[in-house]
Amino acid sequence: IMADDKDVLRDVWFGRIPTCFTLNQDEVTEREAEAYYLLLPRVSYLTLVTDKVKKHFLKVMRAEDVEEMWFEYEGTPLKWHYPIGVLFDLHASNSVLPWSITVHFKNFPDRDLLHCPSSSVIEAHFMSSIKEADALKHKSQVVNDMQKKDHKQLWMGLQNDKFDQFWAMNRKLMEYPTEEGGFRYIPFRIYQAMTGNDRPFIQKLFRPVSPEGNAYTLGDLLKEMYPAAITNDGEQKRYQVVIHGIEPLLETPLQWLSEHLSHPDNFLHICVVPTPSD
Amino acid sequence: MAAVTANARGVVTDPAGVSPRDSRPPAPGAGGRSAESWKGHIIRELKHRDLSQHAMFQDLIRFYTQLLEKTSLTKGLLSSSARRPPAGSAPLSSLLQQSIQLKKTTGELAYQVVELQQQIKIKDSVLEEQHARLLQERRCLSRVSDAHQELRAQVEQVQGQNTALKVEYDALLERQRAAEAKLRQETVRGEELLAKVMKRKNQAAARMNSHNERRSRAREATLQAAARSKVNLDRSAVHPLSSTSPSSGFSNSSSAPSSRSTSPKNEKRDASMERKPMRLVRSASVTSPRILTSIKELFDRKRRGHSVCSQEEDLVSPVRICVSARVPARALQVLDAHEQDINAVRFSSSSDLLATGGTDKVIKLWEVRAGLLTHRGTLDGSTEGITCIEFDPMGFRILAASYSKAAMLWQLGDSVPKVTLTGHSRKVTAARFSSILHQVVTGSADGSIRLWDLRRAACLQSRNVAKYCSDLVCSENCIISGHYDGQIRVWDSRAASCVQVLPAQGKVTSLDLSSDHRQLLSCCRDDCLQLFDLRRWSNERVTFRADGFKCGSDSTKAVISPDCCYLAAGSADGAVYIWNVSTGKLETRLPDKHSSSISAVSWSLSGEYFVSVDKSKRAVLWSDM
Repeated sequence: IMADDKDVLRDVWFGRIPTCFTLNQDEVTEREAEAYYLLLPRVSYLTLVTDKVKKHFLKVMRAEDVEEMWFEYEGTPLKWHYPIGVLFDLHASNSVLPWSITVHFKNFPDRDLLHCPSSSVIEAHFMSSIKEADALKHKSQVVNDMQKKDHKQLWMGLQNDKFDQFWAMNRKLMEYPTEEGGFRYIPFRIYQAMTGNDRPFIQKLFRPVSPEGNAYTLGDLLKEMYPAAITNDGEQKRYQVVIHGIEPLLETPLQWLSEHLSHPDNFLHICVVPTPSD
Repeated sequence: MAAVTANARGVVTDPAGVSPRDSRPPAPGAGGRSAESWKGHIIRELKHRDLSQHAMFQDLIRFYTQLLEKTSLTKGLLSSSARRPPAGSAPLSSLLQQSIQLKKTTGELAYQVVELQQQIKIKDSVLEEQHARLLQERRCLSRVSDAHQELRAQVEQVQGQNTALKVEYDALLERQRAAEAKLRQETVRGEELLAKVMKRKNQAAARMNSHNERRSRAREATLQAAARSKVNLDRSAVHPLSSTSPSSGFSNSSSAPSSRSTSPKNEKRDASMERKPMRLVRSASVTSPRILTSIKELFDRKRRGHSVCSQEEDLVSPVRICVSARVPARALQVLDAHEQDINAVRFSSSSDLLATGGTDKVIKLWEVRAGLLTHRGTLDGSTEGITCIEFDPMGFRILAASYSKAAMLWQLGDSVPKVTLTGHSRKVTAARFSSILHQVVTGSADGSIRLWDLRRAACLQSRNVAKYCSDLVCSENCIISGHYDGQIRVWDSRAASCVQVLPAQGKVTSLDLSSDHRQLLSCCRDDCLQLFDLRRWSNERVTFRADGFKCGSDSTKAVISPDCCYLAAGSADGAVYIWNVSTGKLETRLPDKHSSSISAVSWSLSGEYFVSVDKSKRAVLWSDM
């Protein structure tokens, strides 16, 4: 069982998405820019892993034409502070692979995207997510007990794609006192594909264990938070509940999901996308 | 692209595959459902996803990226850029073309690289060579510099040696100069000293001359004064003074018949001149004017000529005979008579004077008056110590034998010897006036006995015995000599032959003849005295010994008393031993006055005084009261 769990963790960590980066045609280039293909890690962030992309496209551009790089898929600017896997599952889960992203160097959409001048910004965002998650899980006790070098280890593990280095620290955050039966609250976010910007995601307090001691499931969570996602009997499935590119069964225990299918930022990012019509 | 679309379908089908499972109603709480189902589902789904999304595109993207890198590389190298069709139309074919071109260029580049590498090799070898040469040169240089250092060191060494030599040379030069200066100084000093010595000698000679002159003048003066005074006193008596004894305190006897030895001549002489020889020092007794005139004439003669003997002087004194000698008992005077050892002592036959002589080369004359010895004069001129002294029978002259292989004769009054008799080859041990007039007999350590003529100062005869002669005495016809071989030889005065040989006990140290010439005393080294009777010429002899009497030296003198009753000798222990002849026993022993061995003794002719002298300069005057 433990081996299976370890496999799950590894598969989650090493998930990749084939991406094709194409320069925006409006960009001024000296020569024609070729597309750049890259396998993006699901658990990382766009601005952390696209240095090569930038270098590639800068070869054909003049320095004075280059501003901050930003990405867009089919007209939607991609928020770099979402994990890549979340972005893909949310926007392009049912589209043709490789995922075609358009690279822009001009006209940064300030209203839609956050600026990312350096990797320390990404680190700050990442660490704040972890702390927020631990606040929900352990009232911040575990993360506050950890030293600065441990936080750094978490970040370095993510940045350098080091599974063992990361999980050496992260497992502390996945522990819980046995009498509790689980975390205090499950850190999760439910993203909806077709909504406007009024609510980017749903995040509420939810205990993993019922007062009676029963473990809640994914279905219980959805029922509570996004009942529309659940297909009632007899109805056609209207929504897919995608985590890390797969649809887990609704009876999967929530606690287990939080422990094993969380992103490195310790949040369980759930995408609810409409079922594609063939 | 075909593959991609297939994948898209795959993706599409997936949710389709998932959804029927989704339709299963989720169990509330999922308590009864086993963990396997949902977990396994998840695992499966993940695997599927990876397969479709990851694995399919992995290789492709990798190859694409590599190609991209290559093209960008070649673009950077080549000036001509390959015309690519717009992106999206036919990237692969253009890529292939590009790859061919790239291969060509890589070939060219590789060739260039090889060439450059060769050049590098050549340059490296050249560099190596240069390094090697440099190393060699350095080694050479180091060798040469070593040699240079060595030479320099040698030069320094040689220079050092040179300076050392120079220093030595300088030092030697200095020393030589100093030595030269010293030499000069020394020669100058030597000359000075020589001059001083000459001066001193001259001074001494002058002193002596003046001294002698003074003495003679004094004598003259006193005599003149006396003569003048006595002339006034006494003009009456003109007696033949053939037998008067001058009023000396010495001799008791008077009017003795003339001595045996001199009687025939005496008569002759008496006829011619009758006069008493003067006691030089005693002016009070002179009574007769004749004496005065004779004295004057004496002095005249003396001034006129330097003849040793004159007719007047040839007068032999009448013999005085001692009636009885006194045995000395008490020391009247002890004095240090000489500077060094005293070897000989003799009372004059006229009894007034005593002569002592010794190693200090002078003879001192003493007068015994009122029990005290008073110094009257010094006779010098001997170059060595005195061994034996004799007064001539008249008392005018003193004969002394000396270590200087000569015998000397002084006139009393002259401190310089009148005659020096040389000829012996060793020290003269005895010198005596012979019974023959003007003749002197000497015996010497060379074993020869010589007869000398005083007038000519020449040796008349020489008798060689080849045995150390220690003493000799002269009687009328014969000369008797004592020798170290223990024999006493009697010689005939005129003949050259030895008449008789008398054996003694041992080494003969001295001989003495009694005043009647009858008895001969010999002192022997083996501490005995022997008395021989000469008239009988027999071997009969009387031996005298005593406890404690030890003969002190090889020249200890023993004497017979003037009355022939006693024998006296000095001992090594500093005591005088006196034997009685008639009893043959020791009469008396006089110790404590001498601190060393007594060398000679002498009895005064009057028998009243006795003198002993020793080796530590002391003379002691004894008498019986």
